[in-house]
Amino acid sequence: MLSALFDSSVWTALAAAGVAAIASILFLRSRNFLYDSLALATTEIGLVLLAAGIVAGAIAGRLAGGFWWTWDSRLTTALVGVLLYAPYLMLRRAIEEPTRRAASAAVVSIFALFDVPLIALAVNWWLARRTVPAPFSAGWMILPVAILGAALAWMRLRQEQQRRAQDAERRTAQEI
Amino acid sequence: MKYVRQVATVTMKDLRAELRTKEAINASLAFALMILLLFSYTFDPEQEMMRQVSGGLLWIVFAFAGTLTLNRSFARELPNDCLDALIAAPIPGSALFLGKCFASFVLVLAVELVSLPVFGIFYRVHWTPQFPALFGVLLLGTWALTIIGTIFSALTVNIKLREVMLPMLTYPILMPALMSAMRLTTSLVNGQPIPEDDFAWLKMLVGFDVVFTAVSLVLVETVLVG
Amino acid sequence: MSAVAVEGVWKYYGDYPALRDIRLEAAEGACLALIGRNGAGKTTLLRAIAGFSTAQRGKIKIFGKEPREAETRRQMGFIGHGISVYDELSALENLTLFGKLYGLPNPKKSANEWLERTGLERVRNGLVREFSRGMRQRLAVARAFLHEPRVLLLDEPFTALDDRAIAVLQRLLREGLAAGKTIVMSTHQLREALELATHVALLTRGQLAFHGVRTQEMVDDPGYVYARYGEGA
Repeated sequence: MLSALFDSSVWTALAAAGVAAIASILFLRSRNFLYDSLALATTEIGLVLLAAGIVAGAIAGRLAGGFWWTWDSRLTTALVGVLLYAPYLMLRRAIEEPTRRAASAAVVSIFALFDVPLIALAVNWWLARRTVPAPFSAGWMILPVAILGAALAWMRLRQEQQRRAQDAERRTAQEI
Repeated sequence: MKYVRQVATVTMKDLRAELRTKEAINASLAFALMILLLFSYTFDPEQEMMRQVSGGLLWIVFAFAGTLTLNRSFARELPNDCLDALIAAPIPGSALFLGKCFASFVLVLAVELVSLPVFGIFYRVHWTPQFPALFGVLLLGTWALTIIGTIFSALTVNIKLREVMLPMLTYPILMPALMSAMRLTTSLVNGQPIPEDDFAWLKMLVGFDVVFTAVSLVLVETVLVG
Repeated sequence: MSAVAVEGVWKYYGDYPALRDIRLEAAEGACLALIGRNGAGKTTLLRAIAGFSTAQRGKIKIFGKEPREAETRRQMGFIGHGISVYDELSALENLTLFGKLYGLPNPKKSANEWLERTGLERVRNGLVREFSRGMRQRLAVARAFLHEPRVLLLDEPFTALDDRAIAVLQRLLREGLAAGKTIVMSTHQLREALELATHVALLTRGQLAFHGVRTQEMVDDPGYVYARYGEGA
């Protein structure tokens, strides 16, 4: 069950990355900050789910074979995925000006998505010599995990939009 | 061709400025040699182990030392607000970007070509037999390093913690390219041609270069002007 | 069509409105002095006109076109707070570089001409890092004028100049205006700037408090505009 959890979280995180990249492209074209909030929300939630999934996968590996890290290609790819998207959040924290922050983050999100298939392939080839990849076993669990992810992302999006609305109110108050 | 001349102007400017001060290239070279020296404490140049890790070691050296140079790429425009003047000039953002890419490429490659014989000497590896193919892999891998390093150098130029953010952004994205380069270099640097199985890695490296050069060129105006 | 047109521009930095509903125009051949206290938004406005940043609301047009278009960039010269020349290159190398970037037919010749016009011909091969402050400023001026721009955007150009540099800049600006150039120049109410100006605009906390013709009273008493139109007026 744990490995099914892991697999589900990987697929959900992948979907989140895709949505984030599309939202980023839409932001760059329209400069509508809703898309920036969407990209942020999906990336954050995707990252959280992915990290949780990796823990589940590691535990599953420990229970099955006795090692915490099995160098399974999916597990390793997931880890690289975390390393790929964590800088997105760090970058956002490092830029204060909202437009610049949104545009820079959007660029990183797009680069990251193009990298994902390459990483999956590369890690798979690299490790194929060492371990036999476990059969894909997400099964029915993908549905609840995906729904959970979508719900969390939606909540995060609402929270982010609220924060922006408050900023805008503060702005208008200053103008009067 | 006007565009080519614009790119060349930027490249020559960067190279001329760097060769006068030699800031980046000295630091980069010193760093590369230091890593090679440090690693020599870990490994006895005993044949089999060395053979397996040589590609990995070399590209760790190249990537880390290369980042020192790549960080300078746009950072060198900050004193005196020179970046303003470059952005205001009527050249396409892509010309400015490619100009800097080529300059960094030359500088990083120079450090690599010095590191390689040093590596050969310290670790007693005979890297000459397959040099043409090895050089080809160096070119492809260095281009990957350069293109990603330069676009993120532009992205992070004005941020606080720039020196931290650049490696954090660059290395994860570079992984497929680095892995390919490492695998290919391991065979070649030991005088062996690339085995049949490993040709996929060559395709991956070329694919990486093509895809990310294209993505960078499409996004460069956004990165420069916001 | 005016040379520079700012139409209802708002610019925010995060929550803070640095520019609020700025509407002003500069006709071709005019010299607009932009005055205001520190933090009033002069630099923000100039940089927006120059195309370094985009306004969140409103439009900016230079000769009817967007500031970032290549044709507009070719016709625009900018001097900001930094001198925008490279310390590790020589004066001649710097100007030749910009000459090439601006597509001048003979970059080296233009570079040498402008080195003479700014009195730097004797140090043409000296590296900028060895120049005095006044020399660096004169080189910055040469860089901005090199490609014969129709519009000059200058951010406090007279601040921290030595006497020789001030004289050079005033002469070049006067010649430029006589030749039909348009100048928008922010200034700390310096006499040198106000003498050249045909129009004056006062910025107070990001808003345009005054925009009109420059009068003799303004030159005689630079604090005049502040007293009349500024805060607490």
